[in-house]
Amino acid sequence: MNLVAPAAGWAALVLGLAGSLGLALFGFRAQRNPGSVSRARLRFAVLCALGGAVAAMAALQVALLTDNFSVSYVAETHARATPLLFTITSAWSALGGSLVLWSLVLTGFTATVLRQVRDTDDRLGTGALGVLGLVNAFFFGLLASSANPFRILSDPPADGPGPNPILADNIMVAFHPPMLYMGFVGFTVPFAFAMSALLLRRGGVDWLRRTRRANLVAWTFLTGGLVLGAWWSYEVLGWGGFWAWDPVENAALIPWLVATAFIHSSAVQLKRGMLQAWNFVLVIATFALTILGTFLTRSGVVSSVHAFSQSGVGPALLVFLLVVLAGGFTLFALRGERMASVNRPESLVSREGVLLLNNLLLTLFAFVVLTGTLYPIFAEAMTGRQLSVGRPFFDRMAVPLSFALLLAMGVGPFTPYRHASPAVLWQRLRVALLLAGAAAAAVVLAGVDSPGVVAVVAIAVGILTGSVRQLLATAPKPRRRGIPRVLLGQRAYWGGQLAHLGLVLVAVVIAVSSAFATRATVTLDRGDSARFAGYQITFDRTERHRQPDRESRDAHIVFREGGRVVWTATPRLNRFTNQTQQVGQPAVKEGVTRDLYVALAQYDTSKVSLNLYRYPFMSWLWVGGLLMAAGGLWALSGRRRGGADRPADDQAPAGESPRRQTPEAVTADA
Amino acid sequence: MRSRLVGIGTLVAVLGLLAVAVTGLVVRDSGGEDRAYRLEQKLRCPVCKSVSIAESPAQTAQDMRAVVARQIAAGRTDQEIIDYFRSRYGDWVLLDPPASGTTLTLWWLPAGALVLGCVLLVRMRQRRVDGPREELTADQRERVDRALAAARARVEEESA
Repeated sequence: MNLVAPAAGWAALVLGLAGSLGLALFGFRAQRNPGSVSRARLRFAVLCALGGAVAAMAALQVALLTDNFSVSYVAETHARATPLLFTITSAWSALGGSLVLWSLVLTGFTATVLRQVRDTDDRLGTGALGVLGLVNAFFFGLLASSANPFRILSDPPADGPGPNPILADNIMVAFHPPMLYMGFVGFTVPFAFAMSALLLRRGGVDWLRRTRRANLVAWTFLTGGLVLGAWWSYEVLGWGGFWAWDPVENAALIPWLVATAFIHSSAVQLKRGMLQAWNFVLVIATFALTILGTFLTRSGVVSSVHAFSQSGVGPALLVFLLVVLAGGFTLFALRGERMASVNRPESLVSREGVLLLNNLLLTLFAFVVLTGTLYPIFAEAMTGRQLSVGRPFFDRMAVPLSFALLLAMGVGPFTPYRHASPAVLWQRLRVALLLAGAAAAAVVLAGVDSPGVVAVVAIAVGILTGSVRQLLATAPKPRRRGIPRVLLGQRAYWGGQLAHLGLVLVAVVIAVSSAFATRATVTLDRGDSARFAGYQITFDRTERHRQPDRESRDAHIVFREGGRVVWTATPRLNRFTNQTQQVGQPAVKEGVTRDLYVALAQYDTSKVSLNLYRYPFMSWLWVGGLLMAAGGLWALSGRRRGGADRPADDQAPAGESPRRQTPEAVTADA
Repeated sequence: MRSRLVGIGTLVAVLGLLAVAVTGLVVRDSGGEDRAYRLEQKLRCPVCKSVSIAESPAQTAQDMRAVVARQIAAGRTDQEIIDYFRSRYGDWVLLDPPASGTTLTLWWLPAGALVLGCVLLVRMRQRRVDGPREELTADQRERVDRALAAARARVEEESA
């Protein structure tokens, strides 16, 4: 029984807790009285927290890799037969370990904030470090108590059940959770700066500029995490879809929607000095929603394929959520009004007007998803009756909102700030409208009878045309040199356009793949054939495969097109060592023009029932999603502004008139 | 004059193309929609986490799909089929909560939020600080132009 790893791990968590509490103490004290704390102390506290998180993760890995079953977390999530990759990833595939990863990411973000705080005269920065210290302390505290992964079992088992089967089958478990956490956790940074600005009673755009990078990093990773997660669930869950409007999926989508609104509204504040108060609201809401998502996933209040096991951390997370909401919004209520910007839009027909509409739509979208997700919980608590809110409800709400957002996306980026005259709008949009109309007519004449598909394709063509026109119109001549110069020079704007085009592609694929999907359920005796979507499919044979950690049984389903074998699908059932439940795994053949998808519904060596799907152009969904994340990266890759290379922040009074912003502030974002 | 004609021509073309698309959609009967599939999507699979019986590969879901098919063949209406499952499994089985009773709130909350948002948006426009619009004097305009020209020259120089 080796107790070094758990003891070291727990000590590391306590070190992290102490460092975080110290950081909170020193940070707030430095903010109140800049001379009283040296930067070295802040640095020491951050290093303690970061070191604690790194050491805790290392101890957890050591315990997992050495099959140390006297550690509770290892005994619950590991088996001797688990392959190396899934042993490493089990460090975050259950509750305690996932919070260790959370702390690791959060202390990492804290360290990057420390780097921008050059000295303790930077009161906005030291206050933000104080807030980050508090949030860190909460998670370390949780880890050191009710979620402790390092509990020592007096009677260790000889072997464990291994990780959750769904999390021990696909390489995505190494990418999706860390990316999602980079996203979720990253939103703590803008929250911390916003709180610090409120504590200082200092409005202005300083906190926005300094958190722009952290915010974009978080958004990019959350986008990537959502896309990879959707792909993963499409590949493994076997119901033929990628998004079930499941509570836990929603819990990740809601902060994404609000954060997307914030990215757009912060541009309005940076450019036009509006929406100051609203930006505070969005930042507090985004952070609170990430905590809510964590609570929903880890408390057992919702049933979901993605939820962690029920545990004692639920109440603690709920209390923390309430503290964040009460603290954040009380502070905002007391200080926010005074900082509210005086500027108002001159006209709603302007870039800022469209961005306001975008914010209205995105927050409404987030509100609808939040309502639908939480409603069953509240209804059950009130009436004791269980009810469900599922895809039909969410689709009915999401489809019109998405269309409205797409339309705004087609107009907004090409509309000038302040006021757009009809003549200017017509001049900038007429080619886009013409080609959109042509696309709609062409698609209809080609025989498409789904209005949704026609509308999405038309809007997509319009947005693409608008983008290209904008590029050609703004690029200096000669174009061969001018276009790269514009793309490289205005990365925030063109990164945004790339993200828009990615989203447009996603919208087109969702519409097309669902409108033209072919589905069938067939039951085949061995050797029998059936027709499906132009293919002849034959149930050829079954096979049994033994691997160290599992036994799988598969069915060989041969797809023939015109007598030629195009694919042999092998959907399978896996039974993992030390576990009783069998887990189905679909077979997916991805292609440029169509995906084929086979899931086992019933399995016998002589007879199988299959759910068959054919989705046209499905693969492009992931391309679109990755383009969105690439847009975020492109915007990030630009020149570093604000933060590190700036001296202590300017002592601007609260409610500083945006007219007095530095030119840099005005050009900082698109 | 010519650009005006081009403009009008473009507008007419846009409207014409949209008219073609809409007429095409209206004239063509999208017809034969899969009634069973639509119903199945509204019913929650009792043994899965959050998918409908249309999507679930589980045995229970297959049995429920068979029931839907039988009832459609027997000429029952959509509402009768939904009610049948509701009486057997409770409200829980409905993925599409009805706009009545305990789930009415779920429907007016988004509508309320939409109205509230629109009101705020419009008020934001109206409440803007009134007062004389600042117009720049000729002298100020000239200074802005000079600063702009200088900045442009600098950018050109940097990128050259």
